[in-house]
Amino acid sequence: MPTDIAAPRAPRFKPLNFAFLRRKATPGDEGDSRVWALMLVPSLIVFVVLLVASLGLFIEGSLHRDLGYGRTGTEWEISNYLRVFTDSFYLKCLWITVKVSAMATIGTMLLAFPVAYVIARLRSRWAMLLLAGIVASTFITIVIKVFGLMILFASNGFMNRTLLALGIVGEPVVLLGSEGGVVVGLMQFTLGFAVLLLYSVVQTIPRSYEEAAQALGANRLRVARRVLLPLCLPGISVGGLMIFNMCMGAFTSAALIGGGKVMTLPILIQRTIMMEVKYSMAATLAALLLFAVIAVNLLSIFLMRRMRAGRKVIA
Amino acid sequence: MISKSPFKRLWWRLETPVGQTLLWSVVVFAYLFLHAPTIIVMGASLNASSQYGAISFPPTSFTLARYWEIPASQFHSILLSLKLAFLSATVGVVLGVPAAFGLVRSRLPGKGLLAAIFRAPLQIPTVVIGITFLQLVYAVGDALDLDLSGSFVGLAVAHCFVATPYVVGTVTAILQRFDGRLEEAAASLGATPLRTFRRVTLPLIMPGLYAGALYAFMVSFGDVPISIFLSAPGYMTYPVEIFMGLEQNFSPTILASATLVIIFCFALMLLVQRVVGLETLLRIGGTGRR
Repeated sequence: MPTDIAAPRAPRFKPLNFAFLRRKATPGDEGDSRVWALMLVPSLIVFVVLLVASLGLFIEGSLHRDLGYGRTGTEWEISNYLRVFTDSFYLKCLWITVKVSAMATIGTMLLAFPVAYVIARLRSRWAMLLLAGIVASTFITIVIKVFGLMILFASNGFMNRTLLALGIVGEPVVLLGSEGGVVVGLMQFTLGFAVLLLYSVVQTIPRSYEEAAQALGANRLRVARRVLLPLCLPGISVGGLMIFNMCMGAFTSAALIGGGKVMTLPILIQRTIMMEVKYSMAATLAALLLFAVIAVNLLSIFLMRRMRAGRKVIA
Repeated sequence: MISKSPFKRLWWRLETPVGQTLLWSVVVFAYLFLHAPTIIVMGASLNASSQYGAISFPPTSFTLARYWEIPASQFHSILLSLKLAFLSATVGVVLGVPAAFGLVRSRLPGKGLLAAIFRAPLQIPTVVIGITFLQLVYAVGDALDLDLSGSFVGLAVAHCFVATPYVVGTVTAILQRFDGRLEEAAASLGATPLRTFRRVTLPLIMPGLYAGALYAFMVSFGDVPISIFLSAPGYMTYPVEIFMGLEQNFSPTILASATLVIIFCFALMLLVQRVVGLETLLRIGGTGRR
């Protein structure tokens, strides 16, 4: 990889038809652009077919009445949707999902940012080793990690025995089957990805900006508040949104640590299919989850645009 | 701006030893939090005493008995997961590399939308992907008069669908920083387009290809929310089998097989790191998620 002569923008590629040998390249020369576009076609067809077919089938499936035992009606109706929006149980599940996801997102970002900052600003080989530690942890199946958390959180587990022995708590802390435990489980799931995301954000901000602020007499906290955070804000909001999406769809950690006591939408969807065999209802709930995620994303993008437009120059 | 910052009066600032200690203790805590579960599973798999139940950490006396008791079903599911993961990595490269070239180098209108199509599997909640593919498997099975539920085909298609975007992401990241002059130099020295691609372009995108394949492999190997819908009793991927096991009863043998899987994952990462170098793997790996 040539680093010292990195092209600032994507260069125009013309090696495929020797266009550069012509004395005058026509501006609308489409020769090799077409070859590259052709390479896109097979995979694009596969993806579009799979996306359209699967999403179409599932939206269609949610518009039939459920007869139970895996059978569905043939009439088109929106009875499932009416039921979801009138039954307080489903709305409560949606609320729990959003609440737990939001808490986990905030916790993850607060914990991930200092770590990402330290890794991005280290000047030694330690940075690579620390980063490798993060990447390695993201490669371990979430199921195995949650199993470890369950052993750790058990009422007579390592954590409670330590806390009781030190006299920090009077009685065992109950995390399994509580919303707090689910939040910790979701953080376990997303922390590694959040550090990687924020690391690439912090890396794009030159160290010299912070040094300049310090040279002008700002202390570290002020540098963080007036220079680092404002510059990182777009990256932080985009990253936070991604983490939130991950939490909204997270199933494994919520199902195992929640132990059926914390009903988030993904768990409800899986139970509706596996236990009650109600495909249409499950599809409706999945549609609800999908629309909720899309709504949150659109709202956040709108807010980010507003912020960017209304943001004053930080002097 | 000359304002009295409320932080002025605080007794700690980050340049003081106390502030440094605070920052580093957050970092240490984060690493403990990330790696503790893995270490606990590995440690508990060696524990022989049943002072705090059959599964506990830290181990007080050691035994390897759990490793001899791993049932055959778990080895079968590990094998199925490995097959799916290798297939996902391979298909991911076959579909993803040309897609990345097309996305970066063609001048099609609406490239943003095309890129979004390839990113879609990462944006849609995984549970939703699972249920949509379940419906798809049923519909295709009905049309062909086959019973595809709990079959390799359904699992494979869904796994490749979610794994391919990682390869697209890593290779796109490399191509966007690619220096086109290298290819032009090769061509001007008389290399045919094909030879240019084979001798210049391909070696340069190889790190992205390896990193993307590794990520595709890991995503497929560890997936629960999609596989759980497409598995059937007696035909499960390894994570789904553990999940079911943890929902019903804690079999200590899971600790042993999980330890083997953890060791395998680390070994694979080290292997790829030996091939492409740690720095490349990490730099590209981080971008593969966007």
